[in-house]
Amino acid sequence: MIWHIAKRELSNNLNSLRFALATVLLLGLMLTNAVVHLREHPERVKRYRENVSNHQNHIAAHASNGLYDLAQEGPGNLYKKPSDLRFCAEGGEAFMSDRAQAGYHRWSTGTLKSFWILAYPSATPNRDNVRPEVTKVDWGFIIGYVLSLVALLFTFDSISGERERGTLRLTLSNPIPRHTVLIGKFLGAFISVSIPFILAVLVNLLVISTSSGVHLDAEAWGRLGIIFFVAVLYTGLFLALGMLVSARVQRSAVSLVILLLVWVVFVVFMPSTLASIAGRSTSSGPTYDFSERSWKLHEELSSDYYSSHYKEPEGSTKRIEIDGAYVTKDAEQQERLHAERLNRRIAEVHRARTITRISPVTIVQNLIESFAGTGFERHLQFLENVQTYAREFRTFIVDTDSADPESLHIFGVRTGMSQEPVNPEAVPKFEDTLNLSRDFNTAATELLLLTLFVLVLLSGAYLAFVRVEV
Amino acid sequence: MMTLIRRELLDNLMTFRFAAATFITLLLVVANTFVLIIDYERRLASHNDAVKMHQRQLQEKITYSAGEVRVDRPPNPLSIFNVGFDKRLGNEIEVSHKLVPSLWDAGMHGSDNPFMDMFASMDIVFIFEVILSLFALIFAYNAFAGEYESGTLRLVLTHPIGRGKILVAKYLSAMLCLIVPLLMSLLLSIILLTTSTSISLNSDDFLRIGGIILTSVAYLSVFYLIGLLISAATRRTSTALMLSMFVWGFLVLVYPNVILTVIPRPESPDALRTSAFNRIENIWETFDRERKHYLATDDFPGEDWGYELRGWGWRSEGFRDYPRILLYTYRSVMDFEGFGEKDEPKMPHAQKHFGFLGAQTIDAADRTWLIRKPALEEIFIQPANMERVWLKLSPVGVYDAATQAWAGTDLLGIRDFFHAARQYRQSLTNFFYDHKVFESRQWFSGDKGAADWSGLPQFAFQRDDINTNAKRALPDVFLLLMLNVVLFIVIFLIFVKSEV
Repeated sequence: MIWHIAKRELSNNLNSLRFALATVLLLGLMLTNAVVHLREHPERVKRYRENVSNHQNHIAAHASNGLYDLAQEGPGNLYKKPSDLRFCAEGGEAFMSDRAQAGYHRWSTGTLKSFWILAYPSATPNRDNVRPEVTKVDWGFIIGYVLSLVALLFTFDSISGERERGTLRLTLSNPIPRHTVLIGKFLGAFISVSIPFILAVLVNLLVISTSSGVHLDAEAWGRLGIIFFVAVLYTGLFLALGMLVSARVQRSAVSLVILLLVWVVFVVFMPSTLASIAGRSTSSGPTYDFSERSWKLHEELSSDYYSSHYKEPEGSTKRIEIDGAYVTKDAEQQERLHAERLNRRIAEVHRARTITRISPVTIVQNLIESFAGTGFERHLQFLENVQTYAREFRTFIVDTDSADPESLHIFGVRTGMSQEPVNPEAVPKFEDTLNLSRDFNTAATELLLLTLFVLVLLSGAYLAFVRVEV
Repeated sequence: MMTLIRRELLDNLMTFRFAAATFITLLLVVANTFVLIIDYERRLASHNDAVKMHQRQLQEKITYSAGEVRVDRPPNPLSIFNVGFDKRLGNEIEVSHKLVPSLWDAGMHGSDNPFMDMFASMDIVFIFEVILSLFALIFAYNAFAGEYESGTLRLVLTHPIGRGKILVAKYLSAMLCLIVPLLMSLLLSIILLTTSTSISLNSDDFLRIGGIILTSVAYLSVFYLIGLLISAATRRTSTALMLSMFVWGFLVLVYPNVILTVIPRPESPDALRTSAFNRIENIWETFDRERKHYLATDDFPGEDWGYELRGWGWRSEGFRDYPRILLYTYRSVMDFEGFGEKDEPKMPHAQKHFGFLGAQTIDAADRTWLIRKPALEEIFIQPANMERVWLKLSPVGVYDAATQAWAGTDLLGIRDFFHAARQYRQSLTNFFYDHKVFESRQWFSGDKGAADWSGLPQFAFQRDDINTNAKRALPDVFLLLMLNVVLFIVIFLIFVKSEV
């Protein structure tokens, strides 16, 4: 019986104007998305490859100069791997740097040079960009904004419309339980929204996967599957919302007005307003405070150093030790300072993002971002990779040094370290990787939240429909 | 006629949609005004901090060559209405004789957390863009179609009233209803603005807000007429509603975001950039040759630009170039606190040299600007303007452009600041010439008295007056009005010819 009602609903929808318009709209958007991706992505991948080979050349060049050089220069810039699924979610990548500086120099005196530290440059987009600003048309936009609107336009009259025409009374006069009618209608609407969406997605993926410039591997397809599932869940949410309002309200015009208002408030306005409110509580000092603090720390350390340095005779091991301690302590201190600032910034963003989760569109965009391997969570994963690598690199230096019996094992000074040449092949290389299970973990809360929303709205629609008088 | 308007007005006022429209617009505008005012206050505080810091840093320098005169662009209070480029483009710039400052050389001070920029911010005009257009369509979709269906139109037409009058009555009454939430919410936000202590609006600003209101009404009317057109053409409420919603989704949501990625990219102006950069490079190579020639041929032996002065302090010189934005500068800084006794005879030579170098640098920088200005215009501004024209094919784009122009946050408004900075550079170099700053000992040494920064001309940037704003906004406002007239005529023709 459910199937019968769903089929009736479906055939009603397939012939309607909205079905045709929705198909055209979604197809057009998805095609645009694919074309833009094909135009931009190969360029991105090429740039990344160049950067990676630069990084490796950098290491090789310094390794051949000996261990001190390598330990002092550091591995150089580390680059974030661009995701092949960038077309799914742009994820504000423009606001996140695509690299971390693992070779950030600050000073050198006659004999000493500062050791490298891990610094996190911030992206500065648009400083001289005078072009008009637009939202990127990615899957996140198409699903979050357009598909949700389409879902509402398909359901706003599903119950109230039938009541106005009187067909609802007719249906209910048959010996069918109401929940069967509701589920049938839900399924019908669901399938009729899914058809244009699936069609558009297929065209999009067909264009992208047949192109030679972009390669999607098995994991990428798995991720696409999850993103598709999220999209389906999200559509279900708006369908349920539409049915809920439609059941409660007498006239379909009123139902549409309410739905559009809810949509505009939750989808268009809520994310940015909430983020601004959240962002406002996190005003921290201006940028130059940081450089002043960093400078002060360094000054304190160096005044201590100079007072002890000249007490020891030149060339003595003790003096080398003091020099080494100065350099390593300074690097440690500064790196900690940079890491603290990064963590504070991340915490602020996390706070803001938690608040914006009231809006379903933010949830769904966060989810798509996580699984597409773009956006903020991805950036955090990149930073984590970078930090792991930095540890690995430092361990390598220590291990290589301790393998040399002639070395004094004093880091920070040329004479205190191993003088043996370093094999460039042995130096660890940075490879940015993505981890699906980690993405799942970060996305789990949001996935559950979205499911919860869907269930609440579905049961709301059920209760509203059961109690409705025809 | 009055009866008709009254009837329509009552019809509209008593509906749920009117209450909902008013409530939601008020809620959104008030909530966002709060947030926007706080955001503005923070930017203003950051601006004031930067001004203070730049002043302090300047005062600390004891030589003229080491001092960097930096000027800051204050945030525009009307950015609350339409933020435009106010937050995006650079807001501090160094003004020196070395370089004619432009938008592309500007730096940015502001938030400490660049990640937070990824949360989109919105302004009041954006709220209107989305909400008002939606409400206008919701008010319009059943204006004709509903009356066809219920048969009341036939009833009305049996009376001896012209169809034009009916149309005008419908239009006027609905517009009256729609203007209520617009004006109420703007009024509330202006009240909020005036209660904030950090925002001071002058009479020109109120006129600008008036311009924004006028443009908003024209925008509202365009969407109402689009809805009316759909309603008159389709004759069925459900079809009209569906079509209206898709038209809305297309014009407001899809078109402005998609069009820029769809239109063919302008050819990358690399050739132009390279040729302009080569010419600029030539200027500076000539400059370098003359500089070296001077050093080689002057009375002092040796070619060291610092005249082998040994003292307490630091010196640096060098060229810096950045081909992407056609930047090329030469900078020589000498910041000494004192000298040994042997250096005293070298001083007059060094002073003479710096006098020569200062004049040469100014000359080269001025000539660079003559090449750089049109090239930057062609590389950056023209493609961007082209894209803006494409955006204006949707009423949303026209409305956005017009309100930006009123608020002074459009590209021209921001560039006014850099124009002022260039004028300030002119007065600064005049000051340097008049007071023989380049030839002075304070140019490179603070041992006989530090550089005197207090006599420097002051930088003052005033936003342009309302006339300029109006001149920039009116073309777009007229475009909106024209669109209104065209739509109205089409609807009239359809309505007159239609059978009831």
